[in-house]
Amino acid sequence: MAAAAETTFDRSRRRRRFWNTTLQASTPYGLIVPVLAVIGVILGYPLYWLIRLSTERYGLFELIQHKGASVGFDNYRSVLHDRIFWHTLLRTVVFTIANVSLTIVLGMLIALLLVRVSTVVRVLLTSGLVLVWSMPVVVAVQIFYWMTNFQNGIVNYVLTRLHVGDFFQHDWYATTFSQLSLVTVLIVWGALPFVVITLYAGLAQVPHDLVEAAEVDGARPWRVFRDITLPILRPILLILTSLSIIWDFGVFTQPFLLIGQSKITPGNFLMSVYLFEEGYFKTDYGRGAAISVLMLLMVAVLSVAYVRKMVRIGDEP
Amino acid sequence: MAATSSAATRNAKASSITVWLQVDAQSGWPDLVAAANQKFASDHPGTTVNVQYQNWGDHLQKFDATLAGGGGPDVIEMGNTEMTKYMAAGAFAALDKSSFDNSATWLKGLAASGTFAGKTYGVPYYAGSRVDTYRTDLFKQAGITKLPTTTAQYTADSKKLLAKNPKKGFSPLYIAGTDWYVAMGFVFDYGGGIATRVSGKWKGLLSSKQSIAGLTAYKAFFLANSRASKTTDETHPNPYDVYAQGQAASMIGPSWFTCCVGKKYTASTAQFVMPGHIKGQPLPGFLGGSDLAVPVTSSNKALASDWIKDFTSTAGEKGLQAKGNIPNATNLLGSSVNERAAARSWFVPTAKHWVDVENGNILRNMLAQILTGKLTIQQAASSASDNIASVLNQP
Repeated sequence: MAAAAETTFDRSRRRRRFWNTTLQASTPYGLIVPVLAVIGVILGYPLYWLIRLSTERYGLFELIQHKGASVGFDNYRSVLHDRIFWHTLLRTVVFTIANVSLTIVLGMLIALLLVRVSTVVRVLLTSGLVLVWSMPVVVAVQIFYWMTNFQNGIVNYVLTRLHVGDFFQHDWYATTFSQLSLVTVLIVWGALPFVVITLYAGLAQVPHDLVEAAEVDGARPWRVFRDITLPILRPILLILTSLSIIWDFGVFTQPFLLIGQSKITPGNFLMSVYLFEEGYFKTDYGRGAAISVLMLLMVAVLSVAYVRKMVRIGDEP
Repeated sequence: MAATSSAATRNAKASSITVWLQVDAQSGWPDLVAAANQKFASDHPGTTVNVQYQNWGDHLQKFDATLAGGGGPDVIEMGNTEMTKYMAAGAFAALDKSSFDNSATWLKGLAASGTFAGKTYGVPYYAGSRVDTYRTDLFKQAGITKLPTTTAQYTADSKKLLAKNPKKGFSPLYIAGTDWYVAMGFVFDYGGGIATRVSGKWKGLLSSKQSIAGLTAYKAFFLANSRASKTTDETHPNPYDVYAQGQAASMIGPSWFTCCVGKKYTASTAQFVMPGHIKGQPLPGFLGGSDLAVPVTSSNKALASDWIKDFTSTAGEKGLQAKGNIPNATNLLGSSVNERAAARSWFVPTAKHWVDVENGNILRNMLAQILTGKLTIQQAASSASDNIASVLNQP
């Protein structure tokens, strides 16, 4: 009897412990269910439709009928055999490298400057950066367009007045290089505030005594930067770079609006402009969706570094 | 306008129709729109008309979105070059042609742009040719007593205008570099063309001998007369803005350009038919025009059709004519400068995919390449010609 009673007690205790641990273990999963559900609805559902659309012939006719015709991987095949796709991809990669490098290097330099200047100058600089941040992209594009205007833009006027050269009626939109350079200026200008402020916050973490010790040992500024500041900033730099790559690779508003619809040609396409022209202007939504899926895959590959870093930072005690 | 909006609020609960017109009506003839609305309101008490003005650049994308998602217009203005693609896809409801004023004498070209497989889907709204708008005071100052009758004479007169107006950036005749409506006029003037159908397939014509001659003449004419950007289109900036700033002695464009020449120059502005290279022949002008159509997605097709009737009535068309447009029917035609210019006109290839050629900027890109000297005329024209043929021949 005693033995039996003990066994029952043991069993029930064990059962309770089992339920406790199961409950404990599943609580986190339970807690993220709402988040997963929301993500599923706002990301998963459109994604499902995007992928489905990319395997269909879906033009104006199908749009009116509200029904596409399945064509398997034809859209992908046609995109991957399109010379314009490969040229655009190459152009976009070069464009992204240029934009990201400029953003990070300039951002780093301005952040370092912020540490050195007096409080008044720092407040002025930071306010300036925040103002840039708060400017809507479309407004910024319009202002850039005015400044670089052929007929009476202020950039041409100032450059001529400063005797940089004769910029009277200089056409900033004449060549692809010039067009994309303007877009780069606009993007880097808009991206700097976030990068500078984040790096400036990171610089505050560099221990003073470490820098002083190095200086006492005779290290020059460059050496201090390379061997002390940079290693401490590395995680932040990696995240900023990854994010910039993702943003700049898929940028649309600035190139499309600044270059202007009437000057957009396959010769100056960037990926998302190509996607827009193929999908919307030619009303070939199936093909547009295929390009979109391919872009998504590329960005996913590019984000691996970012996600891994985020996970690793989360693991740190 | 105030009366219309207060009426709209009062009858917010009653049924209403939505009309998409292009901004041209908003800036050029809002009174005619209001008159049509008034007529419609008196025939259909309780039904309001909600007019929304659209831009040429993106109205088709917006329209596509409403075809998919609903909430679209009951009446839509379409450019005559845009109609074919949409009619072929079944985007519009068929209309009863005979119920519209003057439908027996509609302008042939415009009526054709609204007809598909024998049915009428688009009601001609108005047409416009391109004319030369000029400053009478500057021409007089430069000693030009007779208006030019050939392009060569125009260039000679330009030299006189330049001598009197030495300001840098001043254009005797402002033409935007990639204004293909003007450039193709030169191509047609020399007997060339854009594309033609040969046994069921489209063939590009821009690389033909005649077309090359036209493009060569355009380049020379542009360089001698216009100080506009070689890569910009005719809306960035608007030619009339350049003119209103005193930066041009003349410009080519729709006859309603007189609307916006600025108070200072209104009295000294007049128009004439742009000459071609042969004396006595106008430069062939693009016969642009608009149609009004009823989308299949409209739930008020009968009301929509009634509004179109009111807007394109004989009285409405006469109003459009008074504003410098070409009315939609031959029996209404007069002898204005616009109507005389239309005597020699050209039109784009009527192909389902023509609108893709326009949106793809194939012609603009070619003109920019030619004017900046990036490519030779032959190279740029050949590549554009092949490009156009391949777009038009898509299934």
